[in-house]
Amino acid sequence: MADVTLYHWEPNANSGKPMLALMEKGVPFDSRYTNMLEFDQHKPEYLAVNPQGTIPAMIHGERVLTESTAIMEYVDQAFDGPALMPEDARDRWRIRWWMKFMDQWLGPSFSMLGWSAFVGPMVRDRPREELEALIARIPLPERRRAWRKAMFGEFSEEELGESRRRVALGIDLLEEELGKRPYVGSDSYSLGDINIFNSTYSLPVSHPDLASKDKTPNIMRWLKRVYHRPAVQQTWTMGRGDLAKRYRLVIEEID
Amino acid sequence: MPGPSLPILYHGEPTGPSLIALAALFESGLQLETRSIDLLAGERYAIPDVSEPLALDHSVEGEGPVLLIEGEAITDAVFLAQYFDEQAGGAGLQPSDPYVHWQMTMWCRQTSERLAPASACLGTFTHAQDRLAAMEAAEFERIAAQIESADLRERWRDLRENRVDSAQFADSKSKVAQFCERVEDQLADGRTWLFGGFSIADLVTFAWLRPLAETEAASFAAKEGLSAWLARTEARPSVRAALDQARTDDPLQAFAPGPEINRWG
Ligand SMILES: N[C@@H](CCC(=O)N[C@@H](CS)C(=O)NCC(=O)O)C(=O)O
Repeated sequence: MADVTLYHWEPNANSGKPMLALMEKGVPFDSRYTNMLEFDQHKPEYLAVNPQGTIPAMIHGERVLTESTAIMEYVDQAFDGPALMPEDARDRWRIRWWMKFMDQWLGPSFSMLGWSAFVGPMVRDRPREELEALIARIPLPERRRAWRKAMFGEFSEEELGESRRRVALGIDLLEEELGKRPYVGSDSYSLGDINIFNSTYSLPVSHPDLASKDKTPNIMRWLKRVYHRPAVQQTWTMGRGDLAKRYRLVIEEID
Repeated sequence: MPGPSLPILYHGEPTGPSLIALAALFESGLQLETRSIDLLAGERYAIPDVSEPLALDHSVEGEGPVLLIEGEAITDAVFLAQYFDEQAGGAGLQPSDPYVHWQMTMWCRQTSERLAPASACLGTFTHAQDRLAAMEAAEFERIAAQIESADLRERWRDLRENRVDSAQFADSKSKVAQFCERVEDQLADGRTWLFGGFSIADLVTFAWLRPLAETEAASFAAKEGLSAWLARTEARPSVRAALDQARTDDPLQAFAPGPEINRWG
């Protein structure tokens, strides 16, 4: 049994962050696949670990840690292995700024669009009472509202439009950033890349109108550079969906 | 030829994010030039020599302080505080144990995500609305046109036009009350500061809670730990020095549009 246990879903968005950080550090961990589409995150066993009912969560010895970006920072500080933050204070600032921009501004818009287009339709065809019962056990009131909208297709045109605006702008800003430096916020691979990569690697597939070889060459080159890291390859074998296979095809097209 | 320009910290009145950045700077002992700007007059958009404006234009924090280094705008008070601490070679503002550091990071994140938007919402509608409403239309539009972030610009407009969302107002009050409880609970074991030594978490929490101590008095009442901690934090030389930068009589009430209220979950 490893000293670390990670509760995660597919290696993307928030779950992918600690998975990839642990893998880059070479820290062995016990994987507890927590299926968001089966609502495992709201079952009593999981709520005993993270009462907020969101994935991921990590147990290290006696310690329970939540919040994907904060978990990554802990992983980088608590374990040996290659440093995942640069030394320079200004580079560190830039990486933190980008992670917050993703976690609190751009990421929620990706989530809203993803839940509206994919997650909602994937869970929707259960009986109404069952869906209501699933909603009733969600601990966070704001998540209860989000799930209700996803399940019953109730996101408003206005909020979806605002999310689309943010996604388009966020991609432009990232494209500009990656034209300045080889990695997010600095010249070396860091937590910033892990964070942003986990929410953007699917862009060429999900938003081909916004992210492509022609439109966003800097993003595409960076995606490819990160994608080829052994830790990414290894992490992606832990996914159950066909994510990894689908995106491999896209990445291979990038020169 | 002039040499490379020295860093300058542009800050608003010492409340919220500007208070955090100023006090953290003074804790760090770094010697930097500081310049006071009037955030509600749009002076954040008139800072000279900004060649990399990304973080100024798109800071999630809204109208916060800006550190200008070689043309790059550095923003977000919590990260500015970490920057000062690290640039000074470790000024003790961040716990060295990774787990306690994680606890502090989580606390700061929840403060930024929940308390700061609530506090900014209550504070701006109570203290900044009059001034924006009284502004000449042409002057307001001149400022609005310089605000790059469309969602921040919308918060300025909501404030000027007094578009109060009563549900958000009520929710903001309850978030402030929750944070008062949380601080009281965190200090219940008799500790002096939230996480062992004085840290960024103390500064951040003080900067967003203290301005509401009078208007939300009921939430602060009968909490001895909280009251004593507020007084202790206010008495710190760094916080005193930050408050001394004030140009108005009641700097803690000098609010400007802040972070947005969470639109997802
Ligand atoms: N801020 C948290 C958010 C975690 C989060 O929202 N995770 C998503 C999966 S990527 C989740 O648990 N969604 C399911 C739900 O809310 O029920 C973090 O970064 O860890």
